[in-house]
Amino acid sequence: MVSVDDIQFEQATIPAMNSPVIHLSHIRFGSESKPILDHLSLEIEVGHFMGIIGPNGAGKSTLLTIIAGLRKPDAGHIDLFGTCLTPKTRSTLQRDLGYLHQAHGGMPDLPMRAAEVVAMGLTEFNQPLWKTLFRSKTKQNALIDEALELVEMTGYKDHDFRKLSGGQQQRIRLARALVRKPKLLLLDEPSAALDSRHQEKLYQLLRKLCDEEKMTVVMVEHDVAAITSYVDSVACLNKHIHYHAKRGESIPSDVWTAMYGDHISIVTHDESCIGCVPAVKDSAKKSTHHGHHHV
Amino acid sequence: MFDFIHAFFSSTVMQEALFPALLIAVVTSSMSIMVLAHRLSFLTVGVSHASLAGLGLAVTLSLPLLPTATFTAIGIALLLALMPNRQGINEDAGTGMLFAGSMALGVILISSASRNEVDLFGLLFGNILTVSAEDTRWITYGSIIVMLSLITWSRSWWSMAFDMITATASGIATSRLRLVLYGIMGLTVVMCVKLAGIVLTTGLLVLPAACAWFWGRSMFSLWGLSLLFSLTGTLGGLMWSYHYDWPSGAAIILMLCLLFTLSWGASWLSNKSSH
Repeated sequence: MVSVDDIQFEQATIPAMNSPVIHLSHIRFGSESKPILDHLSLEIEVGHFMGIIGPNGAGKSTLLTIIAGLRKPDAGHIDLFGTCLTPKTRSTLQRDLGYLHQAHGGMPDLPMRAAEVVAMGLTEFNQPLWKTLFRSKTKQNALIDEALELVEMTGYKDHDFRKLSGGQQQRIRLARALVRKPKLLLLDEPSAALDSRHQEKLYQLLRKLCDEEKMTVVMVEHDVAAITSYVDSVACLNKHIHYHAKRGESIPSDVWTAMYGDHISIVTHDESCIGCVPAVKDSAKKSTHHGHHHV
Repeated sequence: MFDFIHAFFSSTVMQEALFPALLIAVVTSSMSIMVLAHRLSFLTVGVSHASLAGLGLAVTLSLPLLPTATFTAIGIALLLALMPNRQGINEDAGTGMLFAGSMALGVILISSASRNEVDLFGLLFGNILTVSAEDTRWITYGSIIVMLSLITWSRSWWSMAFDMITATASGIATSRLRLVLYGIMGLTVVMCVKLAGIVLTTGLLVLPAACAWFWGRSMFSLWGLSLLFSLTGTLGGLMWSYHYDWPSGAAIILMLCLLFTLSWGASWLSNKSSH
């Protein structure tokens, strides 16, 4: 039997637990006549792992930069962790945010050890030297070690970052995003430089962070087949969100057509996948000219 | 050898020049790691040459040389920082335009002044041996500002050099700090003019960190090594200058070039043997 106190406890805690980490309302980016993003509304809860898919130029990376506070939308409203994202609140909100962008054209040629790259992700790193230089580094070192362990790069701590392979550099950059234990992690094609084994491990790690640390993860990926077993939902983006499919839900074929055109084949994978559950009809191949959804 | 070193340190001219020269060496070596990290070598060329306009203004309007040149250089550096963002002009082209325009203005202003008022050779190539007490005071104040800025923002500047996008996303006020960096760079450039002149200033702001780049493995190790190379180059260059009666600025730059060659050669040998 449930007592009155129990009910009050639930009423007091559930709204706080369920308050969205990201709340986007009617976002437009770009001119009204030629918007890159338009009428985009989205709500993501604590501990949710969302994948964003869409064709080239759909505005996926732009959306991440808007959520990260790097670009200001031309219309609409953004709340992060229940607080409105404005120039005044931006730097405070960004303390709880980890962001990994696509590294176009390689990383800069700065002489740095891998551990120092990871340390840059700590909020204390950018403080004036008199505040940090003579303070004990024990806690910081423990956080760096923990982040390196998460991406399985502990053995490379003292290696020159420039001499690491592309995949290893990517894992160090991911550790940099994770080291401050962000509440929200934004990843733009994080698996681009990784081999299939490390891709798999990356998705497993992100799933674990969502389940155990209640981290919220938003990840842009091209390969929807690779992520469906791990994410909670997939947002199909092309200027606006055409469809937001939750686990166990199918993405209708007209959504695929609206996003990618007719040149796409949709092949059923297995029942746990998002997008292909009922899909006996949908799984029929339409055309094989341009890419595929599931292999 | 001992006689030479004794004579060098006993010389009144050197005694007066040594403090400002070593102070400039400390400041330029510290800033040089940011010049290399942010790829600002061409900017330092542009700002140092553009400071001729400030010197020309000072000569024409009978204003104090160093302060006028300082404000001009800082102004031009800030203009370069803002130009690419505001007008869609590439920073490289902006630097080239401002560099040529302000140098042309400086040449016209200085050519109008009487020959006695301007030591053109000193302006172009530097002469720390003619440093006045007022110059030394001005260089000291400038050094304090530059070093305090580095102590406050060096790590943020380092983060920005490594990855500007992630630095912005992690809450660093990158636009504001970029302006501060450029302004401080302008100030440093003018402080070097007395030692190395408009033409050679870039050497002081590039070579120390370039020598250290082969060996440094973090911002602090680069900073320390850069300081070591810069102090060695300055002291060695001044000794050359004293011994052979060479222009001090050119002698220091030449010594730093020699150190760079040695550092590069040693790094090449070390890499070869480790493979």
